[in-house]
Amino acid sequence: MNLIDRYVAEVGKHLLLIKGRKDIEKELRSTLEDMLEERAKEKGMPADESMQMELLEEYGAPQKVAETYNPYPYLIGPRIFPFFMTILKIVVAAVTLGLSIATFVEIVNLSPITTMDVLSAIGHGILNIISASIAAFGNLALVFALIERFAPAAEFKMDEDKVWHPAELMKEPEPNKVKIWEPIVAIVFTFIAISIFNFNPQLISLYYLDGNTWHTAPILSDAFFRWLPLMNVAWVVEIIRNGMLLRTGEETVSTRLTSIGVKLLNIFILAMLIAGPSVLALTTESLTAAGVTDPDALSALTIFADKGMDIVFGIAIFGTTVDIIKTLYKMFTQK
Amino acid sequence: MANTESLENVVLELRRGVIVLAALSQLTTEEYGYSLLKKLAELGLEVDQGTLYPLLRRLEAQGLLESVWKLEESRPRRYYVISAEGKKILPKMKKEWAGIVSVMDKMLA
Repeated sequence: MNLIDRYVAEVGKHLLLIKGRKDIEKELRSTLEDMLEERAKEKGMPADESMQMELLEEYGAPQKVAETYNPYPYLIGPRIFPFFMTILKIVVAAVTLGLSIATFVEIVNLSPITTMDVLSAIGHGILNIISASIAAFGNLALVFALIERFAPAAEFKMDEDKVWHPAELMKEPEPNKVKIWEPIVAIVFTFIAISIFNFNPQLISLYYLDGNTWHTAPILSDAFFRWLPLMNVAWVVEIIRNGMLLRTGEETVSTRLTSIGVKLLNIFILAMLIAGPSVLALTTESLTAAGVTDPDALSALTIFADKGMDIVFGIAIFGTTVDIIKTLYKMFTQK
Repeated sequence: MANTESLENVVLELRRGVIVLAALSQLTTEEYGYSLLKKLAELGLEVDQGTLYPLLRRLEAQGLLESVWKLEESRPRRYYVISAEGKKILPKMKKEWAGIVSVMDKMLA
Protein backbone atom coordinates (compact mmCIF):
# COMPACT_ATOMS: atom_id res chain seq x y z
CA MET A 1 0.00 0.00 0.00
CA ASN A 2 1.63 3.28 -1.10
CA LEU A 3 1.13 6.71 0.47
CA ILE A 4 -1.67 7.65 -1.91
CA ASP A 5 -3.61 4.51 -1.02
CA ARG A 6 -3.16 5.25 2.69
CA TYR A 7 -4.22 8.86 2.16
CA VAL A 8 -7.37 7.85 0.22
CA ALA A 9 -8.25 5.30 2.90
CA GLU A 10 -7.78 7.99 5.56
CA VAL A 11 -10.13 10.39 3.70
CA GLY A 12 -12.61 7.51 3.32
CA LYS A 13 -12.69 7.02 7.09
CA HIS A 14 -14.19 10.50 7.42
CA LEU A 15 -16.76 9.88 4.67
CA LEU A 16 -18.64 7.04 6.33
CA LEU A 17 -21.97 8.87 6.34
CA ILE A 18 -21.58 10.39 2.88
CA LYS A 19 -23.40 8.88 -0.10
CA GLY A 20 -21.10 7.60 -2.86
CA ARG A 21 -18.05 7.19 -0.63
CA LYS A 22 -16.45 4.57 -2.92
CA ASP A 23 -16.90 6.86 -5.92
CA ILE A 24 -15.27 9.77 -4.08
CA GLU A 25 -12.32 7.59 -3.08
CA LYS A 26 -11.91 6.29 -6.63
CA GLU A 27 -12.00 9.81 -8.09
CA LEU A 28 -9.60 11.13 -5.45
CA ARG A 29 -7.08 8.35 -6.15
CA SER A 30 -7.31 8.96 -9.89
CA THR A 31 -6.78 12.73 -9.42
CA LEU A 32 -3.80 12.26 -7.10
CA GLU A 33 -2.20 9.82 -9.56
CA ASP A 34 -2.73 12.33 -12.39
CA MET A 35 -1.17 15.09 -10.33
CA LEU A 36 1.77 12.92 -9.31
CA GLU A 37 2.40 11.85 -12.89
CA GLU A 38 2.41 15.46 -14.01
CA ARG A 39 4.89 16.45 -11.30
CA ALA A 40 7.18 13.58 -12.23
CA LYS A 41 7.09 14.72 -15.87
CA GLU A 42 7.85 18.32 -14.89
CA LYS A 43 10.83 17.24 -12.78
CA GLY A 44 11.96 14.71 -15.37
CA MET A 45 12.28 11.89 -12.85
CA PRO A 46 10.10 8.98 -11.74
CA ALA A 47 7.64 9.64 -8.93
CA ASP A 48 9.05 8.71 -5.55
CA GLU A 49 7.89 8.84 -1.97
CA SER A 50 9.13 12.38 -1.30
CA MET A 51 7.16 13.58 -4.33
CA GLN A 52 4.07 11.82 -3.00
CA MET A 53 4.58 13.43 0.40
CA GLU A 54 4.92 16.88 -1.13
CA LEU A 55 1.74 16.36 -3.17
CA LEU A 56 -0.32 15.05 -0.24
CA GLU A 57 0.85 17.86 2.01
CA GLU A 58 -0.38 20.37 -0.57
CA TYR A 59 -3.65 18.51 -1.06
CA GLY A 60 -4.41 18.92 2.63
CA ALA A 61 -5.29 17.01 5.77
CA PRO A 62 -7.59 14.01 5.03
CA GLN A 63 -10.24 15.25 7.46
CA LYS A 64 -10.36 18.68 5.78
CA VAL A 65 -10.64 17.07 2.34
CA ALA A 66 -13.48 14.84 3.58
CA GLU A 67 -15.28 17.84 5.08
CA THR A 68 -15.54 19.49 1.65
CA TYR A 69 -17.79 16.62 0.53
CA ASN A 70 -20.25 17.24 3.32
CA PRO A 71 -22.16 20.41 2.44
CA TYR A 72 -24.46 20.12 5.49
CA PRO A 73 -22.33 19.06 8.43
CA TYR A 74 -25.23 19.30 10.85
CA LEU A 75 -26.84 16.86 13.22
CA ILE A 76 -30.14 18.66 12.53
CA GLY A 77 -29.79 20.97 9.54
CA PRO A 78 -31.48 24.28 8.74
CA ARG A 79 -34.02 22.44 6.54
CA ILE A 80 -35.75 20.82 9.52
CA PHE A 81 -34.44 22.83 12.46
CA PRO A 82 -37.51 25.13 12.71
CA PHE A 83 -39.71 22.02 12.65
CA PHE A 84 -37.59 20.46 15.40
CA MET A 85 -37.93 23.60 17.54
CA THR A 86 -41.73 23.71 17.07
CA ILE A 87 -42.11 20.09 18.15
CA LEU A 88 -39.67 20.53 21.04
CA LYS A 89 -41.62 23.51 22.42
CA ILE A 90 -44.93 21.61 22.21
CA VAL A 91 -43.42 18.51 23.76
CA VAL A 92 -41.75 20.33 26.66
CA ALA A 93 -44.99 22.26 27.31
CA ALA A 94 -47.00 18.99 27.25
CA VAL A 95 -44.50 17.23 29.53
CA THR A 96 -44.59 20.14 31.98
CA LEU A 97 -48.40 20.23 31.92
CA GLY A 98 -48.80 16.46 32.28
CA LEU A 99 -46.31 16.12 35.12
CA SER A 100 -47.63 19.24 36.88
CA ILE A 101 -51.11 17.65 36.88
CA ALA A 102 -49.56 14.41 38.15
CA THR A 103 -47.80 16.28 40.98
CA PHE A 104 -51.03 18.10 41.85
CA VAL A 105 -52.94 14.81 42.04
CA GLU A 106 -50.16 13.36 44.20
CA ILE A 107 -50.39 16.33 46.59
CA VAL A 108 -54.20 16.12 46.78
CA ASN A 109 -53.92 12.43 47.64
CA LEU A 110 -51.47 13.08 50.49
CA SER A 111 -52.93 12.01 53.77
CA PRO A 112 -52.25 13.53 56.19
CA ILE A 113 -51.01 16.63 54.33
CA THR A 114 -47.81 18.00 55.89
CA THR A 115 -45.70 20.90 54.64
CA MET A 116 -42.69 18.64 54.25
CA ASP A 117 -44.64 16.10 52.18
CA VAL A 118 -46.02 18.87 49.94
CA LEU A 119 -42.54 20.37 49.44
CA SER A 120 -41.11 16.91 48.79
CA ALA A 121 -43.86 16.19 46.21
CA ILE A 122 -43.22 19.55 44.49
CA GLY A 123 -39.45 18.92 44.45
CA HIS A 124 -40.02 15.44 43.08
CA GLY A 125 -42.39 16.88 40.44
CA ILE A 126 -39.83 19.50 39.34
CA LEU A 127 -37.10 16.86 39.05
CA ASN A 128 -39.48 14.67 37.03
CA ILE A 129 -40.25 17.58 34.67
CA ILE A 130 -36.54 18.32 34.18
CA SER A 131 -35.56 14.68 33.57
CA ALA A 132 -38.57 14.06 31.29
CA SER A 133 -37.79 17.24 29.29
CA ILE A 134 -34.15 16.20 28.89
CA ALA A 135 -35.24 12.70 27.82
CA ALA A 136 -37.75 14.20 25.37
CA PHE A 137 -35.05 16.50 23.97
CA GLY A 138 -32.65 13.56 23.53
CA ASN A 139 -35.24 11.34 21.85
CA LEU A 140 -36.43 14.10 19.53
CA ALA A 141 -32.84 15.04 18.62
CA LEU A 142 -32.14 11.38 17.78
CA VAL A 143 -35.26 11.03 15.62
CA PHE A 144 -34.59 14.33 13.81
CA ALA A 145 -30.94 13.41 13.25
CA LEU A 146 -32.20 10.23 11.54
CA ILE A 147 -34.69 12.27 9.48
CA GLU A 148 -31.84 14.62 8.49
CA ARG A 149 -29.79 11.68 7.21
CA PHE A 150 -32.41 9.51 5.57
CA ALA A 151 -35.63 11.40 4.78
CA PRO A 152 -36.20 12.42 1.16
CA ALA A 153 -35.60 16.14 0.73
CA ALA A 154 -38.77 16.55 -1.36
CA GLU A 155 -40.94 15.74 1.64
CA PHE A 156 -39.39 18.46 3.76
CA LYS A 157 -39.61 21.73 1.90
CA MET A 158 -40.01 23.46 5.20
CA ASP A 159 -37.99 26.58 4.73
CA GLU A 160 -39.89 27.66 1.65
CA ASP A 161 -42.44 30.33 2.39
CA LYS A 162 -45.63 29.70 0.49
CA VAL A 163 -46.96 32.65 -1.48
CA TRP A 164 -50.50 33.33 -0.42
CA HIS A 165 -53.17 34.92 -2.61
CA PRO A 166 -56.74 35.90 -1.66
CA ALA A 167 -57.97 33.74 -4.58
CA GLU A 168 -57.15 30.74 -2.39
CA LEU A 169 -60.20 31.62 -0.32
CA MET A 170 -62.42 30.80 -3.29
CA LYS A 171 -61.06 27.29 -3.65
CA GLU A 172 -63.06 24.26 -2.55
CA PRO A 173 -61.74 22.67 0.68
CA GLU A 174 -58.85 20.33 -0.10
CA PRO A 175 -59.27 16.73 1.12
CA ASN A 176 -55.60 16.46 2.13
CA LYS A 177 -55.67 19.56 4.34
CA VAL A 178 -55.58 19.08 8.08
CA LYS A 179 -56.91 21.50 10.66
CA ILE A 180 -54.05 23.08 12.61
CA TRP A 181 -55.46 22.18 16.04
CA GLU A 182 -55.73 18.45 15.26
CA PRO A 183 -51.99 17.67 15.26
CA ILE A 184 -51.42 20.00 18.24
CA VAL A 185 -54.05 18.23 20.33
CA ALA A 186 -52.67 14.84 19.21
CA ILE A 187 -49.10 15.82 20.20
CA VAL A 188 -50.16 17.21 23.59
CA PHE A 189 -52.25 14.17 24.51
CA THR A 190 -49.65 11.70 23.25
CA PHE A 191 -47.06 13.37 25.45
CA ILE A 192 -49.37 13.37 28.42
CA ALA A 193 -49.82 9.62 27.82
CA ILE A 194 -46.04 9.12 27.54
CA SER A 195 -45.47 11.13 30.74
CA ILE A 196 -48.12 9.27 32.73
CA PHE A 197 -47.39 5.71 31.56
CA ASN A 198 -43.61 6.11 31.78
CA PHE A 199 -43.05 8.45 34.69
CA ASN A 200 -46.20 8.28 36.82
CA PRO A 201 -47.87 4.89 36.24
CA GLN A 202 -49.11 4.96 39.86
CA LEU A 203 -51.70 7.56 38.77
CA ILE A 204 -53.60 4.86 36.89
CA SER A 205 -54.89 3.35 40.09
CA LEU A 206 -58.06 2.56 41.94
CA TYR A 207 -58.40 5.22 44.68
CA TYR A 208 -60.31 4.41 47.85
CA LEU A 209 -60.76 5.96 51.26
CA ASP A 210 -60.19 3.83 54.31
CA GLY A 211 -61.27 5.88 57.31
CA ASN A 212 -59.33 9.11 56.83
CA THR A 213 -56.62 7.62 54.62
CA TRP A 214 -56.60 7.37 50.84
CA HIS A 215 -55.32 4.10 49.41
CA THR A 216 -54.53 3.11 45.85
CA ALA A 217 -54.47 -0.19 44.01
CA PRO A 218 -52.84 -0.37 40.54
CA ILE A 219 -55.27 -0.97 37.69
CA LEU A 220 -52.78 -2.12 35.04
CA SER A 221 -50.73 -5.29 35.38
CA ASP A 222 -47.13 -6.08 34.34
CA ALA A 223 -48.59 -7.76 31.22
CA PHE A 224 -49.48 -4.24 30.03
CA PHE A 225 -46.20 -2.55 31.00
CA ARG A 226 -44.14 -5.28 29.26
CA TRP A 227 -45.26 -3.72 25.95
CA LEU A 228 -44.67 -0.11 27.02
CA PRO A 229 -41.33 0.28 25.13
CA LEU A 230 -43.06 -0.65 21.86
CA MET A 231 -45.98 1.66 22.70
CA ASN A 232 -43.42 4.44 23.25
CA VAL A 233 -42.02 3.85 19.76
CA ALA A 234 -45.53 4.13 18.28
CA TRP A 235 -46.21 7.29 20.29
CA VAL A 236 -42.93 8.99 19.36
CA VAL A 237 -43.44 8.20 15.66
CA GLU A 238 -47.01 9.51 15.95
CA ILE A 239 -45.68 12.75 17.46
CA ILE A 240 -43.24 13.16 14.57
CA ARG A 241 -46.05 12.49 12.07
CA ASN A 242 -48.25 15.11 13.71
CA GLY A 243 -45.30 17.50 13.69
CA MET A 244 -44.98 16.97 9.93
CA LEU A 245 -48.73 17.65 9.55
CA LEU A 246 -48.34 20.80 11.62
CA ARG A 247 -45.59 22.03 9.36
CA THR A 248 -46.99 21.10 5.96
CA GLY A 249 -50.67 21.55 6.83
CA GLU A 250 -51.67 18.56 4.73
CA GLU A 251 -51.40 14.81 4.48
CA THR A 252 -48.64 13.55 2.18
CA VAL A 253 -47.65 10.07 1.05
CA SER A 254 -45.04 10.03 3.86
CA THR A 255 -47.49 10.99 6.62
CA ARG A 256 -50.03 8.42 5.40
CA LEU A 257 -47.43 5.65 5.14
CA THR A 258 -46.18 6.56 8.63
CA SER A 259 -49.74 6.45 9.90
CA ILE A 260 -50.23 2.97 8.41
CA GLY A 261 -46.93 1.83 9.98
CA VAL A 262 -47.99 3.07 13.43
CA LYS A 263 -51.41 1.43 13.09
CA LEU A 264 -49.84 -1.91 12.10
CA LEU A 265 -47.59 -1.63 15.15
CA ASN A 266 -50.65 -0.88 17.31
CA ILE A 267 -52.43 -3.95 15.92
CA PHE A 268 -49.38 -6.06 16.80
CA ILE A 269 -49.30 -4.67 20.36
CA LEU A 270 -53.05 -5.24 20.80
CA ALA A 271 -52.73 -8.82 19.50
CA MET A 272 -49.89 -9.45 21.97
CA LEU A 273 -51.99 -8.01 24.80
CA ILE A 274 -54.84 -10.37 23.87
CA ALA A 275 -52.47 -13.36 23.66
CA GLY A 276 -50.82 -12.60 27.02
CA PRO A 277 -52.20 -12.53 30.56
CA SER A 278 -54.80 -9.94 31.59
CA VAL A 279 -53.64 -6.32 31.43
CA LEU A 280 -55.85 -5.42 34.39
CA ALA A 281 -54.53 -6.01 37.88
CA LEU A 282 -58.03 -6.00 39.41
CA THR A 283 -58.29 -8.78 41.97
CA THR A 284 -61.07 -9.68 44.39
CA GLU A 285 -58.92 -8.26 47.23
CA SER A 286 -58.25 -4.89 45.61
CA LEU A 287 -61.89 -4.52 44.56
CA THR A 288 -63.17 -5.45 48.03
CA ALA A 289 -60.77 -2.97 49.60
CA ALA A 290 -62.05 -0.33 47.18
CA GLY A 291 -65.55 -0.88 48.50
CA VAL A 292 -66.95 -3.35 45.94
CA THR A 293 -68.55 -5.84 48.29
CA ASP A 294 -71.48 -7.14 46.21
CA PRO A 295 -70.47 -10.70 45.13
CA ASP A 296 -72.19 -10.34 41.74
CA ALA A 297 -70.38 -7.06 41.02
CA LEU A 298 -67.08 -8.57 42.16
CA SER A 299 -67.56 -11.58 39.92
CA ALA A 300 -68.55 -9.41 36.92
CA LEU A 301 -65.54 -7.11 37.38
CA THR A 302 -63.02 -9.92 37.75
CA ILE A 303 -64.45 -11.67 34.66
CA PHE A 304 -64.18 -8.36 32.81
CA ALA A 305 -60.57 -8.05 33.97
CA ASP A 306 -59.89 -11.54 32.68
CA LYS A 307 -61.81 -11.67 29.38
CA GLY A 308 -63.54 -8.33 28.81
CA MET A 309 -60.40 -6.46 27.86
CA ASP A 310 -59.67 -9.04 25.14
CA ILE A 311 -63.01 -8.12 23.55
CA VAL A 312 -62.17 -4.40 23.86
CA PHE A 313 -58.76 -4.99 22.22
CA GLY A 314 -60.41 -7.13 19.52
CA ILE A 315 -62.77 -4.26 18.70
CA ALA A 316 -59.78 -1.88 18.67
CA ILE A 317 -57.96 -4.15 16.18
CA PHE A 318 -61.04 -4.15 13.96
CA GLY A 319 -61.31 -0.34 14.18
CA THR A 320 -57.61 0.12 13.43
CA THR A 321 -57.83 -2.21 10.42
CA VAL A 322 -60.76 -0.18 9.07
CA ASP A 323 -58.64 2.97 9.60
CA ILE A 324 -55.77 1.45 7.61
CA ILE A 325 -58.13 0.60 4.74
CA LYS A 326 -59.53 4.17 4.82
CA THR A 327 -55.99 5.63 4.79
CA LEU A 328 -55.01 3.40 1.86
CA TYR A 329 -58.17 4.42 0.00
CA LYS A 330 -57.35 8.10 0.56
CA MET A 331 -53.77 7.55 -0.58
CA PHE A 332 -54.90 6.19 -3.91
CA THR A 333 -57.84 8.52 -4.52
CA GLN A 334 -56.61 11.89 -3.22
CA LYS A 335 -53.46 12.99 -4.98
CA MET B 1 -3.84 41.42 9.28
CA ALA B 2 -7.60 41.37 9.86
CA ASN B 3 -8.09 43.43 6.68
CA THR B 4 -6.07 40.96 4.61
CA GLU B 5 -8.14 38.10 6.03
CA SER B 6 -11.41 39.90 5.27
CA LEU B 7 -10.26 40.63 1.74
CA GLU B 8 -9.30 36.98 1.24
CA ASN B 9 -12.72 35.88 2.47
CA VAL B 10 -14.52 38.30 0.16
CA VAL B 11 -12.44 37.18 -2.83
CA LEU B 12 -13.15 33.56 -1.93
CA GLU B 13 -16.89 34.26 -1.79
CA LEU B 14 -16.78 36.09 -5.14
CA ARG B 15 -14.94 33.17 -6.75
CA ARG B 16 -17.32 30.62 -5.26
CA GLY B 17 -20.20 32.44 -6.85
CA VAL B 18 -18.75 32.16 -10.35
CA ILE B 19 -17.36 28.62 -10.24
CA VAL B 20 -20.74 27.01 -11.01
CA LEU B 21 -21.10 29.13 -14.15
CA ALA B 22 -17.45 28.62 -15.09
CA ALA B 23 -17.64 24.83 -14.69
CA LEU B 24 -20.92 24.47 -16.58
CA SER B 25 -19.65 26.66 -19.41
CA GLN B 26 -16.53 24.48 -19.84
CA LEU B 27 -18.34 21.16 -19.67
CA THR B 28 -20.02 21.33 -23.06
CA THR B 29 -17.41 18.70 -23.91
CA GLU B 30 -16.46 15.83 -21.58
CA GLU B 31 -13.77 16.57 -19.00
CA TYR B 32 -12.57 14.69 -15.95
CA GLY B 33 -12.08 16.59 -12.72
CA TYR B 34 -8.37 17.23 -12.99
CA SER B 35 -8.50 18.20 -16.69
CA LEU B 36 -11.28 20.68 -15.91
CA LEU B 37 -9.23 22.08 -13.04
CA LYS B 38 -6.30 22.68 -15.41
CA LYS B 39 -8.54 24.08 -18.12
CA LEU B 40 -10.02 26.62 -15.71
CA ALA B 41 -6.52 27.52 -14.47
CA GLU B 42 -5.29 28.03 -18.05
CA LEU B 43 -8.22 30.37 -18.62
CA GLY B 44 -7.23 32.32 -15.50
CA LEU B 45 -9.54 30.88 -12.83
CA GLU B 46 -7.57 29.06 -10.16
CA VAL B 47 -9.92 26.73 -8.29
CA ASP B 48 -9.06 24.61 -5.31
CA GLN B 49 -9.62 20.83 -5.76
CA GLY B 50 -11.52 20.81 -2.48
CA THR B 51 -14.01 23.23 -4.01
CA LEU B 52 -14.29 21.82 -7.52
CA TYR B 53 -14.82 18.09 -6.89
CA PRO B 54 -17.65 18.44 -4.33
CA LEU B 55 -19.20 21.08 -6.61
CA LEU B 56 -19.19 18.67 -9.57
CA ARG B 57 -20.92 16.05 -7.43
CA ARG B 58 -23.51 18.57 -6.29
CA LEU B 59 -24.23 19.75 -9.84
CA GLU B 60 -24.65 16.13 -10.89
CA ALA B 61 -27.03 15.50 -7.99
CA GLN B 62 -29.01 18.55 -9.14
CA GLY B 63 -29.25 17.06 -12.64
CA LEU B 64 -27.16 19.78 -14.30
CA LEU B 65 -24.27 17.43 -15.09
CA GLU B 66 -23.90 13.81 -16.09
CA SER B 67 -20.90 11.63 -15.41
CA VAL B 68 -19.43 8.37 -16.61
CA TRP B 69 -16.39 6.34 -15.54
CA LYS B 70 -13.88 5.54 -18.31
CA LEU B 71 -10.70 3.52 -18.17
CA GLU B 72 -7.78 5.44 -19.69
CA GLU B 73 -4.09 4.51 -19.51
CA SER B 74 -5.06 1.82 -16.97
CA ARG B 75 -6.52 4.57 -14.77
CA PRO B 76 -10.26 5.02 -14.15
CA ARG B 77 -11.41 8.58 -14.72
CA ARG B 78 -14.78 10.10 -14.09
CA TYR B 79 -15.84 12.26 -17.03
CA TYR B 80 -18.39 15.02 -16.56
CA VAL B 81 -20.51 16.69 -19.22
CA ILE B 82 -23.37 19.17 -19.10
CA SER B 83 -26.81 17.49 -19.11
CA ALA B 84 -29.89 18.46 -21.12
CA GLU B 85 -31.20 20.27 -18.03
CA GLY B 86 -27.86 22.03 -17.64
CA LYS B 87 -27.95 23.12 -21.29
CA LYS B 88 -31.37 24.66 -20.68
CA ILE B 89 -30.23 26.59 -17.65
CA LEU B 90 -26.80 27.74 -18.92
CA PRO B 91 -28.04 30.55 -21.25
CA LYS B 92 -30.17 31.93 -18.41
CA MET B 93 -27.17 31.89 -16.08
CA LYS B 94 -25.04 33.63 -18.73
CA LYS B 95 -27.72 36.32 -19.12
CA GLU B 96 -27.89 36.77 -15.36
CA TRP B 97 -24.11 37.05 -15.19
CA ALA B 98 -24.04 39.66 -17.99
CA GLY B 99 -26.64 41.64 -16.02
CA ILE B 100 -24.57 41.48 -12.83
CA VAL B 101 -21.39 42.55 -14.68
CA SER B 102 -23.21 45.45 -16.32
CA VAL B 103 -24.69 46.65 -13.01
CA MET B 104 -21.38 46.30 -11.16
CA ASP B 105 -19.47 48.06 -13.96
CA LYS B 106 -21.84 51.01 -13.57
CA MET B 107 -21.47 50.98 -9.79
CA LEU B 108 -17.71 50.71 -9.81
CA ALA B 109 -17.07 53.16 -12.66
